[in-house]
Amino acid sequence: MKALVVVIMFLFLLYLSNSIAFTQAKQTMSGTVKNGETGEALIGAAVVVKELSGVGVVSNAYGFYSLTLSRGTYTILVQYLGFKTASDTIVLDRDRIENFNLFSQPIKIGEVVVSGERTNANVTSTEVSAKKLEIDEIKSIPVLLGEKDILKTIQLLPGIQSAGEGGTGFYARGGGIDQNLIVLDEAPVYNSSHLLGFLSVFNSDAIKDVKVITGGIPAEYGGRLSSVLDIRTNDGNDKEFGGTGGIGLLASRLTLEGPIVRDEGSFIVSGRRTYADLFLKLSKDTLINRASLYFYDLNAKANYSLGQKDRMFISGYFGRDNFNYPGTFGFNWGNTTGTLRWNHIFGDHLFSNTSFIISDYGYSNVVGSGTSEFQITSGIRDLNFKMDFQYFTNSQSTIKFGVNSVYHTFLPGTVTAGSTSFTNSLTIENRYALESSAYFSHELDIVSGIKINYGLRYSLFSLLGPGHIYSYDESGSVVDTATYRSRDFIKTYSNLEPRISANVLLNETSSIKASYTRTTQYLHLLSNSTTSNPSDLWVPSSNNVKPQLADQYDVGYFRNFNDNQFEASFELYYKNMQNLIDYKNGADFLLNQNVEALLLYGRGWSYGAELLVRKKFGQVTGWVGYTLSKTEEQFDQINNGQAFPARQDRTHDVSVVVIYDYNSVWNFSASWVYNTGNAVTFPSGGYRLEAENRWIPLYTERNGYRMPAYHRLDLSATWKLGPRSNLNFSLYNAYDRMNAYSINFRQDPNNLSKAQAVQTTFFPIIPSVTYNFNF
Amino acid sequence: MNTKRNYLLRIIFVLTFFSIIWFLSGCQQVVSIDLNTANPRIVVEGNIKDQPGPYSVVLSTTGSYFDTTLATPPISHAQVSITDDLGNRDTLKEVISGTYQSSTLIGASGRTYTLSVKTDGKEYMATSSMPTKVFIDSLYALSRHGLDGESGYDIYVIFKDPPELGNYYRINARSSAVIPADSIDGRRYRLFTDKLTNGNVMTERIRAGRNVNVGDTITIELRSIDKATYDYFHTLSDILSSDRSPTSLSPANPNSNISGDALGYFAAYTIDSKQIVLR
Repeated sequence: MKALVVVIMFLFLLYLSNSIAFTQAKQTMSGTVKNGETGEALIGAAVVVKELSGVGVVSNAYGFYSLTLSRGTYTILVQYLGFKTASDTIVLDRDRIENFNLFSQPIKIGEVVVSGERTNANVTSTEVSAKKLEIDEIKSIPVLLGEKDILKTIQLLPGIQSAGEGGTGFYARGGGIDQNLIVLDEAPVYNSSHLLGFLSVFNSDAIKDVKVITGGIPAEYGGRLSSVLDIRTNDGNDKEFGGTGGIGLLASRLTLEGPIVRDEGSFIVSGRRTYADLFLKLSKDTLINRASLYFYDLNAKANYSLGQKDRMFISGYFGRDNFNYPGTFGFNWGNTTGTLRWNHIFGDHLFSNTSFIISDYGYSNVVGSGTSEFQITSGIRDLNFKMDFQYFTNSQSTIKFGVNSVYHTFLPGTVTAGSTSFTNSLTIENRYALESSAYFSHELDIVSGIKINYGLRYSLFSLLGPGHIYSYDESGSVVDTATYRSRDFIKTYSNLEPRISANVLLNETSSIKASYTRTTQYLHLLSNSTTSNPSDLWVPSSNNVKPQLADQYDVGYFRNFNDNQFEASFELYYKNMQNLIDYKNGADFLLNQNVEALLLYGRGWSYGAELLVRKKFGQVTGWVGYTLSKTEEQFDQINNGQAFPARQDRTHDVSVVVIYDYNSVWNFSASWVYNTGNAVTFPSGGYRLEAENRWIPLYTERNGYRMPAYHRLDLSATWKLGPRSNLNFSLYNAYDRMNAYSINFRQDPNNLSKAQAVQTTFFPIIPSVTYNFNF
Repeated sequence: MNTKRNYLLRIIFVLTFFSIIWFLSGCQQVVSIDLNTANPRIVVEGNIKDQPGPYSVVLSTTGSYFDTTLATPPISHAQVSITDDLGNRDTLKEVISGTYQSSTLIGASGRTYTLSVKTDGKEYMATSSMPTKVFIDSLYALSRHGLDGESGYDIYVIFKDPPELGNYYRINARSSAVIPADSIDGRRYRLFTDKLTNGNVMTERIRAGRNVNVGDTITIELRSIDKATYDYFHTLSDILSSDRSPTSLSPANPNSNISGDALGYFAAYTIDSKQIVLR
């Protein structure tokens, strides 16, 4: 209801500002910026007025722009990195629809940089800690086993750290693995990994645009504390049919795309599957040849224009991992999402997107056989409705507002016994919740050179019946049980989340930016592991579990050099987090009705400095990033109440990425990373249990030790066999550094009167090759 | 050109093959790590069974993790007593340095025992209840051929779980021919509860590895333990390296039922054992 009031209020405001604009005899040009070759909408293209310095807008996530100017004749330049700048003379004597098609510009060796044609958006925008990765960069940077992966590539940016070697989990500015909002075409993704975390669910062939935000998170994003990873997939070529594909060591991929009706609508289908298990079929052993070990994913999307003002999108993602060894175990999990979107342009100022999203994550685990067989299933389902509006008031002012409502169903776990099994069937009660929000934000040039973006997000979360709700004492015993009926409101939380950022332009090439954001998180991930696991459990806020809150302050100096060829930024941040969750010793979340009794609550804080120098174009591109930071947590029941370094605390974190377009046949790239070892708990003593005849480690402080420093060099070379195919060779961990994945302490098996520390290394030097093609 | 292509394909094949081999094998090495040594703390270890005593309580202190002999100093001259819920009290005598033995106490199912240890001006207390005894119905063994080609035996332990929820078990398996005798399946014991199997006839499988042979006698011991003892051994297994996954959360000392900052446990439990000869 409140959300509706906000919407009505805004429509009224819009009406007002529209009439004001009209009285000043201004005219509006609006339209879409597209790739002229494929018809893909270009996100973040700069539409600028040559005659008016500093006047311009940026195309939105659907390529739409709207620019309101006084009547007159203007030269409009449309710029996008890697594309030839489009230039057009527009006589703005009435409102006009102007669509732009940009054509790619292969970067030639020794190219002369034309001054003023390169965007300096990173200096001029109010986005503070937002970084965009170009898909070409993602495709050139070497990764483990040659499987290009955005979740691994973003870990090379400052402020973002890998949560475990070879894995897709990441920490943003001292935040936990579950504090990252990962959105795929407007739909939140709950489990973003395949193969127990070694590969992400995002097939890079299907991806158009990736933006990662670690500070100054705009009001349109909410629900997670620490970062936003906004991934947009390709719409499909609306000019001609085509395909791309690749054969790698781990998986093969194929993408097909083409027009439904030329220039009106297009489709794209992109699939990927591992094939190692196909070799199992060759085995004569009847157990092995019935075993399965694979994952697949499929992205499908279609869009169609219904005239100049309306565009419909329907898209789906289906992914599944399957491990099965007959008679012993079976484990499969995956995400399914479906999205229906409708873009509508009201007049020529107001862009709207309405989305219906369904999302389903689940896993199923079959354990044992015969008399001991049982199956565990668990998951989370969402029904999501979202409306977002973007109002281009004039070239100095843009307003965004919207509403979002998600109905969550949590299925914590069901055990189904096999027909001859001695196991009992058991169901842990489902939980239901309604998570709603309304936001607005206004980006405004206050005076020339000073721009602010202020906004507010109101979030409302209710745990709904039916269900039995427990209260616990200190020791975790149930002291009270309350029974609720269907649609009863059990517990409601609401929060106002102010978001503000400002940019003071010092000159054309440098600026100072600052931001403050408050973020709230109502869903919490419980995990028995430091990496992403399919059986990790999402739980809602409740009478026992409070929403997590974070306040972040951020200030940065941004400077471009050499006609925007080099971008540099230096940022400082401080983040304070409340109601963080940790676990009691020995907590087991599987099939436990009382998981909330196993939780501990505390607070955390993180601060640091981040330096990034990036070369955006030329024969050699890449970046150097450095982060100096500290992250600590404090829980009354952990470490005697003393603050301790969080697992995600990394003092130093360095990454260097170099991409070298040597000639039209060879492309080389290298990346090097260095970081301080993780904060870990090692024993500070030992004792003997006589009856056990064992030496037991004694622990005194949480995370009081450090793993050895981690560093690694990866190399990659791409050999273009022709215009339509290439071979990519990569070398992971090129100098074969024995990085410690874990260090365990034990009695020496060869001499039980000695203790030893044993380091496990998972990833020594690993070469790989991938064949890629398109047609 | 053709031979060049073939050569290339061969290289690709070899690289692929070795990549997969490398990927699947984590490499382990012993490393040297500097560890602090915490101030010594008391370690208490007490067991009472439903079998005739004497029962013993062992007291020692912690030392440095990389102790040269892994033998920590015993605590002598402590006052150790065990009282049951009928009011019977037994003062334990130190028989060898750090080991205290009962004389009159008789362990029985259904009784609750309280341990008191006084040393160095401090008192440490613990209680444990001896659960209802659960008997093994029968054992049988089947030979097995595993995924990795390793052969061995699966030994099945059959018993009936009592109707009420909240039974905790520990199974130890020993072989006449294996030293150390209690590690025939690479794990020293199995811990489990009746959370998913309450009131049912249970079949627990013990996987015996390559160190058992035809003709060996296997002794299976089924212990009924209380919840605190289960919690202790469950959280103990979390920190012992043989069971520890590289992605485990921060380790912590096991959940002890002893008051104060003492380490260790005090457990009252029942034992039923049966033997089987492999054939």
